[in-house]
Amino acid sequence: MGVSKETCRTELRTAIRHLTDRCLFAASKWAAEQLVGIEQDPAKYPPSHTRLQRDCSSIRRRFRSTDEITATPVAGTSYVSSPLPEEESEDVDSDFYLLAKMYFNCREYRRAAHVLSDQPGKKALFLRCYALYLAGEKRKEEETIELEGPLGKSDAVNSELVSIERDLAAVRKNSSIDPFGLYLYGLVLKAKGNENLARTVLVESVNTYPWNWSAWLELQSLCTTIDTLNGLKLNNHWMKDFFLASTYHELRMHNESLAKYDYLQATFGCSNYIKAQIAKAQYSLREFELVEAIFEELLRIDPYRIDDMDMYSNVLYAKECFSGLSYLAHQVFMTDKYRPESCCIIGNYYSLKGLHEKSVMYFRRALKLDKKYLSAWTLMGHEYVEMKNTPAAVDAYRRAVDINPCDYRAWYGLGQAYEMMGMPYYALHYFKKSVFLQPGDSRLWIAMAHCYETDQLRMLEEAIKCYRRAANCNDREAIALHKLAKLHSELGQSQEAAFYYKKDLERMEDEEREGPNMVEALMFLAKYCRAQKRFEEAEVYCTRLLDYNGPEKETAKSLLQDIKLAQSSFP
Amino acid sequence: MAGIVKPQSGFVITPHKVSICILLQVYAPSGQLSVPFPFASISQHNRLGLFLIALTKSCDDILEPTLDEFLKLLKEFGGLLDNWLSDHVTTRLSSLSSPDDLFTFFSELRGILAGPETSIIDDDQINLDPNSNLGMYLRRCLLAFNILSFEGMCHLMTNIKTYCKEASSPYEMSHLDDASNDPEAPLEYENMDLENIVLQNFTQELESRKRSAGRVPFHNHSSKALFSLVEDITVSPGQKVKHNHRSQTQTHSPSVESSDVVLQRTNWQIQGYLSEQADMIEKLGSSFPMSAFESVLKVLQKVAPELHRVHFLRYLNSLYHDDYPAALENLHRYFDYSAGMEGSDFVPPLSFVNNGRYEIALLSLGMAHFHFGHPEVALKVLTEAVRVCQMHSDDTCLAYTLTAICNLLSEVGISNITGIMGASDSHVSTSLSVQQQLFVLLRRSLKRADSLKLKRLVASNQLAMAKFDLKHVQRPLLSFGPKASVQLRTCPANVCKNLRLSSQLIHQFDNESSIVTVDGALSTSWLKNQEKPTTTLVFPQESGSERNCDTFYSWLQSSSVPGSVLQLVGSSYLVRATSWELFGSAFLARSNALLFATCFADSSSSADLALAYGKLIQHVAVYKGYQEAFVALRIAEAKFLSVSKSGILTVKLQLLHERALHRGHLKLAQQTCDELGVLASSVAGVDIELKTEASLRRARTLLAANQFSQAASVAHSLFCKCYKFNMHVENATVLLFLAEIHKRSGNGVLGIPYALASLSFCESFNLDLLRAAATLTLAELWLLLGPRHAKRALNLIHSAFPIILGQGGLELQSRAHIAEAKCYLSDSSISVSEDPDIVLDSLRQACEGLEALEYHEMAAEAYYLMAIVLDKSGQMEQREKAAACFKQHITALKNPIKPKDPLVNLL
Repeated sequence: MGVSKETCRTELRTAIRHLTDRCLFAASKWAAEQLVGIEQDPAKYPPSHTRLQRDCSSIRRRFRSTDEITATPVAGTSYVSSPLPEEESEDVDSDFYLLAKMYFNCREYRRAAHVLSDQPGKKALFLRCYALYLAGEKRKEEETIELEGPLGKSDAVNSELVSIERDLAAVRKNSSIDPFGLYLYGLVLKAKGNENLARTVLVESVNTYPWNWSAWLELQSLCTTIDTLNGLKLNNHWMKDFFLASTYHELRMHNESLAKYDYLQATFGCSNYIKAQIAKAQYSLREFELVEAIFEELLRIDPYRIDDMDMYSNVLYAKECFSGLSYLAHQVFMTDKYRPESCCIIGNYYSLKGLHEKSVMYFRRALKLDKKYLSAWTLMGHEYVEMKNTPAAVDAYRRAVDINPCDYRAWYGLGQAYEMMGMPYYALHYFKKSVFLQPGDSRLWIAMAHCYETDQLRMLEEAIKCYRRAANCNDREAIALHKLAKLHSELGQSQEAAFYYKKDLERMEDEEREGPNMVEALMFLAKYCRAQKRFEEAEVYCTRLLDYNGPEKETAKSLLQDIKLAQSSFP
Repeated sequence: MAGIVKPQSGFVITPHKVSICILLQVYAPSGQLSVPFPFASISQHNRLGLFLIALTKSCDDILEPTLDEFLKLLKEFGGLLDNWLSDHVTTRLSSLSSPDDLFTFFSELRGILAGPETSIIDDDQINLDPNSNLGMYLRRCLLAFNILSFEGMCHLMTNIKTYCKEASSPYEMSHLDDASNDPEAPLEYENMDLENIVLQNFTQELESRKRSAGRVPFHNHSSKALFSLVEDITVSPGQKVKHNHRSQTQTHSPSVESSDVVLQRTNWQIQGYLSEQADMIEKLGSSFPMSAFESVLKVLQKVAPELHRVHFLRYLNSLYHDDYPAALENLHRYFDYSAGMEGSDFVPPLSFVNNGRYEIALLSLGMAHFHFGHPEVALKVLTEAVRVCQMHSDDTCLAYTLTAICNLLSEVGISNITGIMGASDSHVSTSLSVQQQLFVLLRRSLKRADSLKLKRLVASNQLAMAKFDLKHVQRPLLSFGPKASVQLRTCPANVCKNLRLSSQLIHQFDNESSIVTVDGALSTSWLKNQEKPTTTLVFPQESGSERNCDTFYSWLQSSSVPGSVLQLVGSSYLVRATSWELFGSAFLARSNALLFATCFADSSSSADLALAYGKLIQHVAVYKGYQEAFVALRIAEAKFLSVSKSGILTVKLQLLHERALHRGHLKLAQQTCDELGVLASSVAGVDIELKTEASLRRARTLLAANQFSQAASVAHSLFCKCYKFNMHVENATVLLFLAEIHKRSGNGVLGIPYALASLSFCESFNLDLLRAAATLTLAELWLLLGPRHAKRALNLIHSAFPIILGQGGLELQSRAHIAEAKCYLSDSSISVSEDPDIVLDSLRQACEGLEALEYHEMAAEAYYLMAIVLDKSGQMEQREKAAACFKQHITALKNPIKPKDPLVNLL
């Protein structure tokens, strides 16, 4: 690790003070969480200090034991130690500033801004602009509801943006702007749609003051491709690692993201944030067991946590864990029922219970609280599919897709909905989109192949191509191999069919599965080998068939006789 | 459900309405005498009344004028009073500074309405009858104001301030000074921003259009020469631009303007606006300004995210500009949101409320693929649409889908569709040929449309049927069993019947015009007319006020027949023209095309219009020569925004090719012919007619260059292709051409069978004019075999003469005359020296026609013959003249590049 824990700690402590002083609460909350997340030396501190850190590494112990590949620390990264900015010379805040801060804390933003309107100093300028910005945001929310017409939300805008932008641009021009001002400037620029300048300004901000996590988050939302990410000129600071890890996750580079988090955990061993992020990445990799364990631990340490708990509920849903899910729902409901995450969790619970109407109601509530809550749209689409209300499902999925066109689940849902309506050719468009976004997911390929295979289309060549892709990307349910074999034999390509049957058979043996597929494979292979005059092999398959009851047994017997006969005639 | 648009909110009070109310107050102040204060006379007073009525009529308009525009209107109308009135409106508006002022204003307004109890109306007093137009309007405004919440009132205040400010200081950043304590200023800024963007885009679009009009949009620079060839009266690029520009603003006026999107509009208005724009896009095709409209749509979508029709418009826009990915994306998005429930013409039956009508999505997708030239995919999609329609028993959509499939099959060459149609046509055995399947399908969809009473669809099916009958012989559908004796001929009577039936449609809509729903689009016409300079063109000297009175009422006269019906009826006339062309009545064909161009030009799509103009121009070329044809072409070109994308380009190339062939510019002919071929899509079966034509022209060029075997091989492969796609009418032409090749190569014996085959094709398809041409060729072939056959040839020629002289073009007539003369000359029983006039007359006529066509080769031949005859009959002087002409044409043919030819400059 390039920096010692102690440096991090001092830096974070100062940063929290700075951030709180400027009313940047989200960022200072994050910083405080990381501060506590730095592992303490238990010998030095009494247990009360480590209360929030117990069992920090239990997960690691449980899961590392199997594979000992620890993330190798990035060797030789030299960190730039950003000097902690000195507080402004007026060590004691002016009385006006204190008053403004209090107003701000009481959410009287305009009043706060007014108090600071002619106060000198960067801090006063920042707080004034920030208060104005928030006042504008609040008014915007109100207007959106007031102006809601028959055609949907009217396009309300934050009316303060113009003046804030002008002020900050002026200050920036005579280079007397501080990093916080830059952050706000970036925020405003982004809202006005000037993304390039916003990116530059935000990079400037985080390079001079790296501890403002909100600035990093804004920057992340502006990095939608890996190229833009690589194009950023960022100083090496340990905060950059947090940023990169989080951005990699957004860009669906889960393994890179995980490696970064593992590395960060060396210092911030007890950070709940990192744990949750790791859970997120693992969830994307469909490692549900691990995710569940992480969340269990998180809840034990931090029982009133709601952030990211919707993902936990998804995991519980996938594992059909009724009681666990109901417990979680109850817990979050008692903590804060008007969080979108809480509603989503309750919706998941009802969905698991099969009460789809109720579940839709809670998803709707979640969406009312946050219109851009992506997973709620998708989940609601799933519910509508269950309720056979396909138009509504299509609508919900489409909204999800329009919020984030990279949401392959929603594309997949759209395809499924159309396939359900008997429009496989139309559905193909959506499946194509979905596999384009997530080419490594065999389920998507199988769904697409299934579409090609339907009675209406019968485009078997294309179906085979899709199944082949599915088989190549770790098809857990092993549907693809069997289908491939079947399709090939249907098309009369027995050599290929035999190849895939054999593979399927091997796999079934490996996983110790039995079933009709096994019989089918054995039967085909027996017949095929006999036709190819490979009698010994055929005999092996036939004998294995004898283990099964049913008509196949009889067929196998007669086959065996045939083979014996043939063998005797061709010694 | 979220996907369905909520019911329209109706009447929203806006600053514009407030200013109308102010004027209303001026018009009818409570308790005043007959001529209230500012008016000098009763007529002046009445004029304000008229103006107000017109304004209230257009209150459902999508575009409400800004204060500036409004004041301008007022000024135009107001005469002496204008300053007083506009001052009054502005001061009154700016005096509304607090919500309470609004309250007072509206309660004052209430005072000018006559109460219901005042039964005896004092003659001298002006009171607004609550049930009059203006009274109703006022009451609506009052009601709308009364139901406003306090927030709504605040927004109204804000909007009024913005409205006034925009008028006083447009595009000035005055708000920057006090932006922080003036909440509405940035709002204004936003609005202005938007307008600027739209305006900018629009001008950019215009500019780029100008640029592209200036430079000929073509593949290689040498083709520039082709176009300068056309310019006998040279039109400089600059002038051309002006032409285009003017024609755009005058005739089409693709009405994407900056003020089109004003924020507070009712659902109703925007829907009307959108459907109007959709018609516009479909009509203008690719010449519709794409990016300007796209930005308008983007704004609309931002303002009204639940208005899904915007996506459809975006789809249409990208479809007609050949942006495949965008079109597909928007199509899918639109149907995902709307579930096919909005925006369709037909009213969905109640039972479909929950299911969605995604079959419409499939239908649209199929049509889109058809448009992009992917017939295979289109057929797949449409087949799926048929299946889904049947599943949901959506008969209406099924009828439409079947019609779409018919169109696809008849327009695209598909040689084998077994298996694709299997799903939809279980009872039609797949052993039938494509044509027979198409026939069955056509009958089925016609019947279906008829039983569903979808009049437009019936008409368009009848049209399709007529087209089918025109080009196909009916064969028995039974493959075994007793067959009724069927005449293997097309049936012109059927074609005529179907065409007549299809144009009956207009009467049906004429009678029930009241039923046709009037949507928001109609109410936009008033302001449109205000902008349209048409009235000024008609009555240029009239005074302003009278003109305005005209425009006030012109919205009333807007046609009651919906545009789509007009379009259909129009295309029935086009099919008529085509059918007469084939049946051999050039003049009926011309009059039908003329009828279309004059009556349906406004309502039809630009592609159809281009086709009609093309027919007319071709007609001029064939009967009057190229000089006049090019003049006509130039007139037609001026009507189209971009020539390169319209059908006019094809006509131009055709003309150039013909003329090049006649003049003997073979290189040029080859070039134009290649250009023509490039216009067709590369997908097999798509643009089949264009491809056929291009290869026929190539063969003709080769023939002109005396490359007989190559020409024959091209013609042969063309014949195979036509045969494969069942294009028998084209086959007749190709066969005749093959006979022509043998004739030119001097191989009469080989040519005769081809000519006879062509004749029999012509007979069974009733192609009378072509038949006459074939007869002529046959005669020429006989003549080639020696003077023994001159008699027979002469008989043949005489039998064909009525049609040739009555309907044939200049070239055909001249050829016939020359052939006749040759017959006489070679007939030993007729002595030319005794009676030279029987030969000379026809030769003279031939010479005249060929001069007009600049057909040097044949003209030389005619003069040669004439000189011989004159020589024999001893008219020496005349003979010298003829010989001189002969020489002139021969030199022109041998040195095809004349010094005055613009091509020289480039070489």
